[in-house]
Amino acid sequence: MMNQIGKKIVSMVLLILMTSCASYSIRLRSINGAPQPDPVSNRGDYYRGMQVVEVDTVIKIDAMSKDFTYLIKTNDQCKTGKLHSVEFKNTFGGSMLSTITFGKKRKMKVKYVCMKPTN
Amino acid sequence: MATTKTHALHTWDTLHNNGPFPLKKLYITELEGDGIIPNRIDRYNDAAQEIQRLIKETHEANQGFRAYGSAWSMNNIAHQKDRMHYNGFMNMHIPIQNEHLHANSNYLSSNLFLFECGTTIKRVSEVLSAHGKSLKTSGASNGQTIAGCISTGVHGSAINVGAIQDYVVGLNIITGPLQDDIIYLERESAPALTTAFANKISKRVIRDDKLFNAALVSLGSFGFIHGVVIEAEPRFLLKRYVKKINKETAMQLADTLDFKNSNFKIPEETDTEGKGLTPYHYKIFINPYNTEDTDCVVELMYKKPYSPNYDDPFPIIKQSLYRDLIHLFTKMAEHLPNSIPWLVKKLRKTILPKVDEVLTGTLPEIFWDAPYQGPAFACSVGINHTDSGKTIDLLSELTRNEGPIPGIFGMRFVKQSNATLAFSKFPVTCMLEIDGVLWKKTRKIMSLEEYSRRIIEVLKQNDIPFTIHWGKNSDWAYPNLVTHMYGEKKVNDWKQARSTILSDDMAELFANKFIKTVGLYKKEPHTNEANDLLV
Repeated sequence: MMNQIGKKIVSMVLLILMTSCASYSIRLRSINGAPQPDPVSNRGDYYRGMQVVEVDTVIKIDAMSKDFTYLIKTNDQCKTGKLHSVEFKNTFGGSMLSTITFGKKRKMKVKYVCMKPTN
Repeated sequence: MATTKTHALHTWDTLHNNGPFPLKKLYITELEGDGIIPNRIDRYNDAAQEIQRLIKETHEANQGFRAYGSAWSMNNIAHQKDRMHYNGFMNMHIPIQNEHLHANSNYLSSNLFLFECGTTIKRVSEVLSAHGKSLKTSGASNGQTIAGCISTGVHGSAINVGAIQDYVVGLNIITGPLQDDIIYLERESAPALTTAFANKISKRVIRDDKLFNAALVSLGSFGFIHGVVIEAEPRFLLKRYVKKINKETAMQLADTLDFKNSNFKIPEETDTEGKGLTPYHYKIFINPYNTEDTDCVVELMYKKPYSPNYDDPFPIIKQSLYRDLIHLFTKMAEHLPNSIPWLVKKLRKTILPKVDEVLTGTLPEIFWDAPYQGPAFACSVGINHTDSGKTIDLLSELTRNEGPIPGIFGMRFVKQSNATLAFSKFPVTCMLEIDGVLWKKTRKIMSLEEYSRRIIEVLKQNDIPFTIHWGKNSDWAYPNLVTHMYGEKKVNDWKQARSTILSDDMAELFANKFIKTVGLYKKEPHTNEANDLLV
């Protein structure tokens, strides 16, 4: 009984470790321009003071499609429609989802900040 | 028509988390599109009207009003408890044409540009680069707005240049809600714009050296600075060296600025006789806890003519520390202050530039973005550069003996400013700064305010004349601090100039807790002197 509980704990720890280690993010940032500011935001991370758009969704693509393109639209959160920085997060769950659906379902966890408008 | 969104908020904070401070309303104004108002002057004036509407609305509500840009100041100088205005989206620019140049002007029209208040230093540099021009100097980074920079005296370490306000040649200020409450102010001794052009963006043109010098570093209290005319110069390159040199030599250079006769020289940066050249920029880094090492890290930059053929100064990858690690270090500093010297040593690779690295780039490439790295503090005092060595010894001793404090010192050098309340007031001012992670007082570590107070006390006890950076942390309520730093005459000149430019009502509307705390708010009756100066 104790042995089984021990195995379960080890499995849980391994799963947590795998999940956290297999999750990482990559950020790209333009050397030019400035990020669109968000004076009302009070976040305390890398994006402090910036207008961040966060996308956390699963994209389903057709059987005949190889990949997909997510379009950046001009709106209040992205006044210029041009990108200043993008952060993509790869998760263990996301990789698993893509694997078991043969790439037809893709987890998309992205943060992006648009360029600040110039006048 | 420029539009403003109004947000009902309870608090406001600086970028570096030095608050929070109470707030009632936050205004955010955006300009009308250039498709709707294609003429730049019309669009600029349209924004001015919108600001006047907000000032009127605030005045009618009997509240205070203050503009801010990037919120980089580390105290409450930009804060107003009632209504604040974010002007970061107001970032137009207008290059000055030859026909707009005043007949008695010595400026080249191609070097003059009008920038709207919310234009960041980075954007200013982008615009100037497109014209083959450059700012003469900037701060260590580029995110501040032009109006914020000059209002608080932002500086770099350009020994023979000065601070950012020192290349400003004209100010367009909205002083109230009435039609005539838009002024263009410049020096009588160095006029820049024709009255005809100035009248296109203002209702009153004032040419007066004393008023202009007072309004240059105005602490945000002379009204709403809508536009700033700056003098740029042809684009140039900076060659940056980072060296580890003997501390004594570094301090001797700080005290004398005599690079010609120093033992230290960079072989590539010597004159025909083999003597050292004076650099454009000189900075010394001092870890106050490293008393054993006889060397310290210095950064020197030499100005070179612009040429497009230089190596890309940007790395491909910029790493940032784990935020949790910074949080952990802060907590360790608060509860185990004795660990601070060890922490500073561990973080030296992040804090200090890489020794023996040589880079070449334009001013905006060298002084590039500074990503947010968590709550931060900075205490920065200005002293005559001849007192540099003595002062760093005193403040290092204070930091070791009464601290430790989680930060390291940097020393930069700035040419004297003409602005009435410029902290770069000495012939060459050494700005001696300690910065690091923001900590909270515990039983084991004194508060930032207490540490700042001790800095003031130590400098006073040792008869070292000093100033304090307006945008940094200090014990601003220290009795008679500003009069001690600048003398009564300068303080009174500044107050008088403020009363000349602003009506009594507007002097109250544009005041805030900071200027009241430091004793710069005094109800002096408004004079009509400004009307006498109209041209």
